[in-house]
Amino acid sequence: MSLLELKGIRKVYHQGKIEVPALRGVDLTIEEGEFTTVFGPSGSGKTTLLNMIGCLDKPSSGVITFAGRELGQLSKKDLAMLRRYNVGFVFQSYNLIPVLTAYENVEFAVRLTTKGREKELRERVMAILAAVGLEGLEARKPNELSGGQKQRVAIARALVKEPKLVLADEPSANLDSQTSTEVLEVMVKMNQELGTTFIFSTHDPQVMDYAGRMIEIRDGQISEDKRREGQYVSD
Amino acid sequence: MKFLTKIAFKNLFRHKLRTFISIIAIAFAVMIVVFARGFIVGMIDSVFADQIQYYSGHIKIVDREYQQQERLLPLNYPVDGLAGQGLNEMMDSLKGIENVEMVIPRLKFGAMVSTGNELVAMSGWGVNPIQEFQFTNIEDQLVEGRMFQPGQREVVMGTGLLAKLNHQVGDKVTILSNTAFNSLKGVTFKIVGRLASGLKLLDEIVFYLPLDQAQSWLYMDDQSTELLLVTSNRGLVDQVLPEVKELLASRDAEERYLALGYQETSDLLPYMELAKLIYNQIYIFLVLLASIVVINTMIMIVKERTKEIGMMSALGLESKNILQLFIIEGGIIGIIGSLLGALLGSIINEYFAVTGIDFSSAMAGFSSELVFNSIIYPVSSTANTVFAFILGVIVVTIACMIPARRAAKLEPTEALREI
Ligand SMILES: Nc1ncnc2c1ncn2[C@@H]1O[C@H](COP(=O)(O)OP(=O)(O)OP(=O)(O)O)[C@@H](O)[C@H]1O
Ligand SMILES: [Mg+2]
Repeated sequence: MSLLELKGIRKVYHQGKIEVPALRGVDLTIEEGEFTTVFGPSGSGKTTLLNMIGCLDKPSSGVITFAGRELGQLSKKDLAMLRRYNVGFVFQSYNLIPVLTAYENVEFAVRLTTKGREKELRERVMAILAAVGLEGLEARKPNELSGGQKQRVAIARALVKEPKLVLADEPSANLDSQTSTEVLEVMVKMNQELGTTFIFSTHDPQVMDYAGRMIEIRDGQISEDKRREGQYVSD
Repeated sequence: MKFLTKIAFKNLFRHKLRTFISIIAIAFAVMIVVFARGFIVGMIDSVFADQIQYYSGHIKIVDREYQQQERLLPLNYPVDGLAGQGLNEMMDSLKGIENVEMVIPRLKFGAMVSTGNELVAMSGWGVNPIQEFQFTNIEDQLVEGRMFQPGQREVVMGTGLLAKLNHQVGDKVTILSNTAFNSLKGVTFKIVGRLASGLKLLDEIVFYLPLDQAQSWLYMDDQSTELLLVTSNRGLVDQVLPEVKELLASRDAEERYLALGYQETSDLLPYMELAKLIYNQIYIFLVLLASIVVINTMIMIVKERTKEIGMMSALGLESKNILQLFIIEGGIIGIIGSLLGALLGSIINEYFAVTGIDFSSAMAGFSSELVFNSIIYPVSSTANTVFAFILGVIVVTIACMIPARRAAKLEPTEALREI
């Protein structure tokens, strides 16, 4: 069974009386463990697609099946639970909670999903922070971190609950190319080590080199979908 | 939930000034509630206490005719016993009723003194000093000299009255009164003490003298104009009054004497109880008003944190968790503000409970017959402080529902798109 199946997904936004079609019939299947990039020009519908997949929004028509469950059938509460346990989000603008330290931002996600013992919780958070290269910065607040560091906290937050799927909407758009490479490598590493499925959007061609599968979107439709030969190998 | 509380708490420090202003607004309102409530309870308590001590006792027994003409202080409708058995026997019988602690006779009459160019009208209160001092706080109001003693031709009067008479403690004064036989008779007394009670009636109209002196002066041996019954607390009146009436009936005196509970002796008292209820509504309104500051701040906060709220939904928080987050945040403001206000308010009350607040200049124009003390002592009570605190917390928390619901209703995608 595939992790994700999208059938005939359409999304129309209403701007006053004007109808804005953002997605115009998307069919897509994503397997578990895939590292996929969605790219395309601005306004092509990348964010809209990711929001549908992440159960943040509902399509105007079409069916999304996530791990065998049809999203259209689920209540608001069920969707929240699905997000809580199965989906990690990384946003372009990090969206960390400014009053919490790097550690606490990550801790928040674990607290929501796990009722483990304090010590275990702590070890898990510290491990994931170390894995994204933030050792020693745990006690810093977001405003005391660089953009790349913030994005790593966001990645750690998305990964710490070991979700089936991580969605990253232009995770490197605010980063310089050096930092963006670092952040992407962290994601690739996690994909390889934990088998987490990643879908991220970008319009940076340099970033696309990291993906095992590339999906191009134009005007709300998939215009190209190709898999890279073999596994991605870091240079 | 614990983590939400932690976040809510930390959020309070994001804009310290804003939080501070919200807290101050609540604290101020709660402080006013504590103070106003202490003041009003103090005022009402003092009205009740004065009414009971100086006018009605817990139960007042008078002749029915006397009651009709009370303002004239007539002497021809005295209380002089049951079935001709004398006043003392009547007092003893009344004392036999359960929960009646004291039976106090008072002989009130009109009198006057000539100051040379003018006649000063006054009201004499012949009382039994020992009982009277036990029941009322009149002895505490003595500011000069001493109290009168039974068997002596001594009077004690208020500062205002002494000034009108142009006399001082130690002076002798000749007082004229109409006796029970309708003859004018003057008696010379020594002024042994001066009172300053804050009650206009006692200050400017009344002079105290021993009951026996009044009785012999007015030819009213073994008589009084009224009997006051004192129970151990005023709550017992409803229970004791029927028994008093029964006793009067069993002695064939119910036609003649009237027994009145203290509540029946004043038109004012029922309104006082009503006022307390009305004020309680006003307090809620007052705190609600201060809550507007908090609501306004929280609406701003929700707007500012829209993206954060979207992110929390993405993390899998339900709407109800987001509602909780903001209610906790507002609740903490409510708790801190209310606590601060309740403490400040009770400190203020504590202070004024001792010193009192003097309204004598504001009340200068009031009628002297009104038993209404011009110095009001706010009551500082734990119950009051706790009431105001809880009121503050509840009202603020409920008020926070408005902005919190806004936050909870945000669609995650809408929230995340905010710049
Ligand atoms: N809430 C909305 N209301 C109206 N139109 C919307 C809304 N959100 C998106 N759109 C429109 O839908 C289309 C797709 O938008 P979307 O944000 O998915 O594009 P995108 O590929 O993520 O673009 P970018 O690369 O600039 O982030 C655009 O034309 C956009 O204007
Ligand atoms: Mg986008």
